[in-house]
Amino acid sequence: MERRFARDVGSLAAIFDFVTEFAARQGLTEDQRYEVDLILEELFTNLVKYSSQRIEQIAIGLERSGPRLTLVMRDFDAEEFDPTRHRPKGNGGGEAALKSGGRGLALIRKFADEVRYDYRDRNGTITVTKRLDR
Amino acid sequence: MLEIKVLDPGTIALKGRLDASKAEEALVLFKKLNGPLIADFKELDYISSAGISVIIETHRRLAGSGHAFRLINMQPRVRNVFFYSGLDRVLTIE
Repeated sequence: MERRFARDVGSLAAIFDFVTEFAARQGLTEDQRYEVDLILEELFTNLVKYSSQRIEQIAIGLERSGPRLTLVMRDFDAEEFDPTRHRPKGNGGGEAALKSGGRGLALIRKFADEVRYDYRDRNGTITVTKRLDR
Repeated sequence: MLEIKVLDPGTIALKGRLDASKAEEALVLFKKLNGPLIADFKELDYISSAGISVIIETHRRLAGSGHAFRLINMQPRVRNVFFYSGLDRVLTIE
């Protein structure tokens, strides 16, 4: 399943509806759906905030193959923005955990098994893989 | 959907989803609250890093005035987000 969403945080409700539809079709648990929502929100809001672009839509694809869930986010005619290069701050607790920045990426890494970024011809693609059997 | 109810001057209840599209609205409301504060998360189904930033900013503001900010009744999925962010040892989560 793939859909396009306006580049605005106001699109989050529609993105969550998209996930709900996908989760119902694929029989995802509530925990799994929460984690998909969270991964997509963190990636999407990063693109909205940091990626300069001219195309006003971002494509999101969801696919399940057995125990493997693949989330794809495509940003068109955009500057390169590689979330895998940004190192999240440590989450070892203490006052450092209160610092802003990188928290969303840390959560993505916690809930995803793999995050890849590909950039070619001014199109960025983030591919997140998540195993459902653990 | 996000609802924040002020139950009394020292207690609020959150319901629904605190995501990036609701964070600014939530922060505006939180900024109006001063003094010791209890936030009841019982009916909060979802929080993201944007929502956590609202909680952290409120914690800093209240702590700066010497006031406690307690977060109570979190659902496990919401609590996990705080835990994985390393905040369970910094914020008062009960």
